[in-house]
Amino acid sequence: MDATEKHIAEFIINGESHEVILEPHLTLVEVIRDKLGLTGTKHSCSTGLCGACTVIIDGNPVNSCLILAVTVKNKNILTVEGLVEGNTLHPVQEAFIHHGAVQCGFCTPGMLMSAKALLDKKPDPEEEDVKIALSGNLCRCTGYVKVIDAVMDVADQMKQEG
Amino acid sequence: MNTDFSVIGRRLPRPDAYDKVTGSARYTADISLPGMLTGKVLRSAVPHAGILKVDTSRAEELQGVKAVVTDKDILPRKKFAGGFLNTPASPKGVPPAWEDQYIFNDRVRYVGDAIAAVAASDEITAEEAIRLIDVAYDKLPAVFDPRDAIGPEAPRIHDSAENNIAWHMSCPLSEGDVEKGFQGADCVVEGEFYTTKQAPFPLEPSAAIAHYDHTGRLTIYTQCQLPHLARSSLADILDMPAGMIRLINPYVGGHFGVRLDFGPELLCAVLAKKAGRPVKLEYEREEDFVACHTRTGFRYGAKMGFKKDGAMTAVQIKAMAHLGGYISRAAAVGSVFMSMGIGNYKCPNRQAETDFVYTNTSKSYAMRGFGNPAVSWGIEQMMDEASESLGIDPIEIRLKNLKQAGDPGSSGLPIPSLALEECIKVGAEKIGWQEKRKRRSHGSKRYGIGMACMMHNSGSQPFGHERSSAFIKFNEDGSAGLIVHPCDPGTGSWGTLAQIAAEELGVRAEDIRIITGDTDLTMFDVGSKASRVIFNTGNAVKMAAREARARMIERAARILGISSEALDVKDRYVYVRSDPGKRVPVAEIVRDAIYHSEGKGEDITGICAFDPTTTSPPSQAAFAEIEVDIEKGKIKLLRILIVNDSGTVINPDTLEGQIEGGIAQGIGFALTEHFVIDPETGKLTTDNLETYKLPTTLDMPEVNILHIERPDPIGPFGAKSVGESSPITIAPAIANAVYHATGVRVRELPITPEKILEGLEKKADRDIRAHCL
Repeated sequence: MDATEKHIAEFIINGESHEVILEPHLTLVEVIRDKLGLTGTKHSCSTGLCGACTVIIDGNPVNSCLILAVTVKNKNILTVEGLVEGNTLHPVQEAFIHHGAVQCGFCTPGMLMSAKALLDKKPDPEEEDVKIALSGNLCRCTGYVKVIDAVMDVADQMKQEG
Repeated sequence: MNTDFSVIGRRLPRPDAYDKVTGSARYTADISLPGMLTGKVLRSAVPHAGILKVDTSRAEELQGVKAVVTDKDILPRKKFAGGFLNTPASPKGVPPAWEDQYIFNDRVRYVGDAIAAVAASDEITAEEAIRLIDVAYDKLPAVFDPRDAIGPEAPRIHDSAENNIAWHMSCPLSEGDVEKGFQGADCVVEGEFYTTKQAPFPLEPSAAIAHYDHTGRLTIYTQCQLPHLARSSLADILDMPAGMIRLINPYVGGHFGVRLDFGPELLCAVLAKKAGRPVKLEYEREEDFVACHTRTGFRYGAKMGFKKDGAMTAVQIKAMAHLGGYISRAAAVGSVFMSMGIGNYKCPNRQAETDFVYTNTSKSYAMRGFGNPAVSWGIEQMMDEASESLGIDPIEIRLKNLKQAGDPGSSGLPIPSLALEECIKVGAEKIGWQEKRKRRSHGSKRYGIGMACMMHNSGSQPFGHERSSAFIKFNEDGSAGLIVHPCDPGTGSWGTLAQIAAEELGVRAEDIRIITGDTDLTMFDVGSKASRVIFNTGNAVKMAAREARARMIERAARILGISSEALDVKDRYVYVRSDPGKRVPVAEIVRDAIYHSEGKGEDITGICAFDPTTTSPPSQAAFAEIEVDIEKGKIKLLRILIVNDSGTVINPDTLEGQIEGGIAQGIGFALTEHFVIDPETGKLTTDNLETYKLPTTLDMPEVNILHIERPDPIGPFGAKSVGESSPITIAPAIANAVYHATGVRVRELPITPEKILEGLEKKADRDIRAHCL
């Protein structure tokens, strides 16, 4: 099929397959939000500089506003809605709640995705690793202090649990 | 933490946190209504021009376009003042000079001023329609710097404003005779300071959805932080009864002052009316930078006189406020700028005045801290300059001039409580001030330590309307709904208000459910601004809770067959004070009131409309430790210590969150955020995140926060505000540390490496000259 035409494409998001009528100019964040109604992923700068639209593709955190949707068909895409398993929050979500790391919440989904991607790859990070991993996620509310504390706390818990 | 409290002082999670970490929190842009159209705005490409003609014919012919609106569609065409001034909250009316804008103006006054708007079936069509509108401009010369704007050759931006001075204001707190004060001084320090038009930049871009129902009733989904006032202002501008307008606040992704004026609401309403369908209007990021107002910039000369012992004899400020093309409500910012500038220390002779100067730039109005960050930037540096001239420690000179509880504050009203002296002393001790100020480093990396302090307000009394309301209603399970509308943009006020209610009611915080966000449902509350919510809405909540509690105890007295005076309530039970085993659960009392009333049915409710008549200043001391690379001019922040006085701490996590976020904004204000206009084109060159640098995780130093808890006699459970405190102290504390490290005094924000290197060069020249002499 010619990728420059409107066509039906398949996306695997949070482990579920979705068929989407895809216009080729659409970015991944537009597909996630506008086509699939998964509005947890936020759209803010459209230039990959704020991190609000961060999702995880095949284990890597990416700015979904910079990805043409057509290029990630059939890849494993995880959004903030996919962090919850059943009724159980991901430890990073729990930690954000209990450390007061959430304020306006607009950067939170992106922060969570960057933090999860880091912890999946490096379960025992130093604080500097956390700062680097989250440096592409802008927050205007928290000053990042409690965000970093929350991620480090999850890392410590994981360490204790072996 | 006061152990008499059950709920106050606890680190409880915020009630909105779960929605926000799971992605289920719905913000304005996440909402979709049936048949909804997409709006777009045509904005001026030039900084100053008359609009000769707007030809929309080609846009209207484009398939999918449902409405195009220009000035011609606005009937009645009403001139108004920005910042929701056109409401009954301004009982004396608004000075005509402040009413300087229409929804669309026949002259554009900055790059980004709105000219027309469209609503179309999708975004691409709307964008195409915008491109198809032809505008004939009568280009006019433009001016961007207030210093140029007041000159005789400058183009006049509003016909009514001679020399582009929109307004002149003398500070009503002026007192004594400053000339005499300077004559009697042993040391006089003077300086010219500049603060930039900082962009508030909430992460959530501006968005609104508007629709009219079949009766002509208008509903707007809005991020507005003062929804009840905005409704009143909309009614005036759109010539509708206020009751025909409903504003709904979904989750709001931060505001920091930028939602104190209309964003897309007006244009969205006009489009929805013409299209006869709901319209969503979102701003692109670059558009947001120019279409929204910035912090008001200031350029000012300040002069302060001191006696040998450090006692202040006079303070004088002459300022130019850097407006954009419209004045909005910047005069209020200037008023705070002046009153904090001359009123935060004890000084017998004081005077301040400000000219508010139009320029061809985006509007200026409020950002977190109002005028206080701008004026503290200068005053707190001059305190250090005076201390050096007089050979007194910076800590000592501040302590010498501090106000105390009972003194008139910058509001003119007596200060109900103040722990600033303790904040400064505890901070100095904790950070090791005496030892570290003596530290001298050599080589290319120079260590510096500096401090600054501040007082602010809890609400805007006695100048501003501060009405708040609260309504509490119990459910049969003993839980309660708390109806309030402070508009929580992420500050955590829902949680803290719930804690206040729970403490007063003797239930748990999780028993209180916040019901909010809809002007049809909530009673009047001014909203979220001016560090007011905990102090004023908090008091309304406490009083409403007191009423519900009294009703609950009265009912329990009937059940227990005992006088209500003998009863108290704690942890979900009303109990007999002298015999705590004798008790009745709150839930049972409510069920009794609803189901077993026997002709005496009631609801366990409480209501309060609270009109505060005073304010209580929060205060804070900030200490910054830095390292300056004198070869590159680069500053590395090592540590920031804040010792904070907000009275009783209701929720330490929330309080610290406000301080930490304020520190980050203060760091941006100090070091990187700059609103730069291209003098050729009038375009904002810093309209994206590559050029407008916000602090990231990597820019934050170690942060330490200490609380001095001195309960305030007026605030609920002794609490004062905190929301605006930290952005005020950080920049001057860093500037004072830069001076300590390098001997370079930077008076123009932001403190860039270039300015430090230039200062070092000048200093080297001076040192050589001094040596030669």
